[in-house]
Amino acid sequence: MSAATSSPTPGVIHAGSRRKAVFRRRIVPWLFVMPILVLNLAVVLGPALSALYYSLTDWNGIRPPTFIGLENFRTLATDPSYRHAFRNNVVWLLMFLTVPIAMALGASSMLAPVKRGSLFFRMAYFIPYVLPSVIIASLWRGLLSPDRGIPGWLNDHGVPGFDKAFLGDPKTVLPAIGFVDNWHWWGFLLVLFLAAMQNIPRELYESARLDGASRWDEFKDVTIPGIRPTLIFMLLMTAIWSFLTFDYIWILTQGGPAGASEVLAVLVFKEAFRNFKAGYAAAIGLTMSVFVGIVISIFTLLRRRGWEI
Amino acid sequence: MNVSFRWAAVAALAALSPLTALMSPGAVAQEPIELSMWLDVTNGPDEADCIERVAIDSYNALGNGSMVKVTQQANSWDATKTALAGGAGPDLVGTPGPSFAMQLALAGQLAPLDEAAAEFGWDGIFAPNSLNLGKVDGKLYAIPSEIETLVLYYNKTLFEENGWTAPTTIDEMMTLSQTIADAGIIPFAHVNAEWRPANEWFVGEFLNHGAGPEMVYKALIGEVPWTDPAFVAPMETLATMQANGWFSGGLDRYYTGTFAEAGSMLGEGEAAMKIEGTWFLSDAPNYFGEEAGNSNELGWVPMPSTDGTVSYTLGIGQTYSVNANSEHPKEAAQFLGHYFSPAIQAALLSECGLANAPVDLSKEDLSGVDPMLAEINASLNEAYAANNYGYTTWTFWPPESETYLIEEVEKVWAGDVTVEDYLAGHQEKFDAERAAGAAPPVPAR
Repeated sequence: MSAATSSPTPGVIHAGSRRKAVFRRRIVPWLFVMPILVLNLAVVLGPALSALYYSLTDWNGIRPPTFIGLENFRTLATDPSYRHAFRNNVVWLLMFLTVPIAMALGASSMLAPVKRGSLFFRMAYFIPYVLPSVIIASLWRGLLSPDRGIPGWLNDHGVPGFDKAFLGDPKTVLPAIGFVDNWHWWGFLLVLFLAAMQNIPRELYESARLDGASRWDEFKDVTIPGIRPTLIFMLLMTAIWSFLTFDYIWILTQGGPAGASEVLAVLVFKEAFRNFKAGYAAAIGLTMSVFVGIVISIFTLLRRRGWEI
Repeated sequence: MNVSFRWAAVAALAALSPLTALMSPGAVAQEPIELSMWLDVTNGPDEADCIERVAIDSYNALGNGSMVKVTQQANSWDATKTALAGGAGPDLVGTPGPSFAMQLALAGQLAPLDEAAAEFGWDGIFAPNSLNLGKVDGKLYAIPSEIETLVLYYNKTLFEENGWTAPTTIDEMMTLSQTIADAGIIPFAHVNAEWRPANEWFVGEFLNHGAGPEMVYKALIGEVPWTDPAFVAPMETLATMQANGWFSGGLDRYYTGTFAEAGSMLGEGEAAMKIEGTWFLSDAPNYFGEEAGNSNELGWVPMPSTDGTVSYTLGIGQTYSVNANSEHPKEAAQFLGHYFSPAIQAALLSECGLANAPVDLSKEDLSGVDPMLAEINASLNEAYAANNYGYTTWTFWPPESETYLIEEVEKVWAGDVTVEDYLAGHQEKFDAERAAGAAPPVPAR
């Protein structure tokens, strides 16, 4: 055995180990990421690109599509149903950025100091979130019945304003569905906020009290800053989900009556599966993605400007 | 050498043994060809189970070389569409109606059935013209599987107690409704919370019986516009009925009531009448008679018309076809021949409560069927044979126009849109879809 083969020269060792280091640093991480990346490309990017393509076609969901350029988007611009659905999405967004957030913040700040039975409270508020939407919606359809539900009972006991079907009146249908959706949603927020609040150091509250802070001062000057990342993240997610909402509205009213509860996701479903306009539905879906993108961009911009979110 | 020969002989015998086994008399029986069929179980498995028991098991028992294997699945139409688009799907393709089958046929996803129709004599089994509903460009692609119509049901006991007579004209129906409302009873037990497209039952009935089926036919083939005053008047009448709160006591109740509540209202006499399809009869025992805990009786009359002429709207609830990519189209067609035989159709009707296909059913075939359903079906068959039938929206309208009728009529009832504008909007959609070739076939009258 020669020296050259038994002990390689230092230059060869360096070159070999450098290659190994480069392989480890640049290639190995990709190998770890590769399975999920391939999966992601297959199930997210593929359908996303196909949706983009179909939005430029007259595809009816069955026959081969024909390329029609931006025609679907031109139709969208003048479609009153689209404008109406978008308006309903904005109303939904405003409802869910305020009501459940306020309820969850209030309830969690009251529950945060509670030690005894805290697990029970968390579970009790969280359970509606894990129930299937079809069960909750069917339950509340009965509970909101003007004849055999809560409004009927209140009406029978002389409480005015309840002799009506809230889900059947165009003026009240959207808040009524929002109420049902919120019933399952706000408990989830509460549990998240509660967890975040319990990570706030107790000393901050004690200091605030020594400085003569009221409960309200503690809430706005200690609690809110303490849970700000969680709060902002949930505001962001609420905004995104508000543009994608579908299940409760579809189960309870299918967008009715008279289109009063129609949102963009419901419109997509109807265009694709009832009107056989899958290409047009893809175009509507893309605009929903754009709205979600705008929300995420605002969030990113605020972070870059130094917001602690 | 001898040893080699012996080994070679043994090897040859070993190689031939599977062949000889195959050639033995006990092994010649071939495995039957398997045909796939998907049955929908979105609303529960009862119906699919019954179809399997009545139609599939009886076919498989024939031992004619093919057998049907059923897959039960929810939302089977969505699954079927997707599978067909990918070049797969079941051998036997079910669709929710002729307009859907037409789209599949135009996409080349269905096999033509004309040869099978000739071989199995379907022209002699099916009611005249009914196979035309499944034709595209003159070729037969889909067999109508469920024939249905709508009539005016009423609480016969309640009517007798109050001395009311079932109406024959729309004017009589309006007068009677006012009388019923004045008596503190809800005229109609109608709701749509569980099935928003229930709106089209009423729109379709008022268009057909208000303007007459002949006018609807002319509008469907583009000879008269939907904005014709003959269509405006009945739609105004329908809007008036909603405005008067005659459907379940008011629009909000109409939009939130369940079918069970509506059935119960009619059965208990809280409501007097109900315009609904023949499918209602399978649920009627839940609301009338011993099972429902009352002694009330259900009655029916044809849907009243403007001049009292009796006619029935024709609806096709489902179709069956053969997949263009099926490896066994002939055997699949053979199964359809079995499925649409009068004996199986009568059994599906009597044992499963399913609407039958437009095949000629004898009195013997109908012996086990609910007498009221048999009576209505016989009336529909007579009307169909006499060209005195109307058109249900889910059978003869193109999809977007149908959705428009369902959705936008709620704006008319809310007072946001006039009847004229509603019908003008419908005309626009209808013209566009007809021009695009999306309108289902309308057999000549």
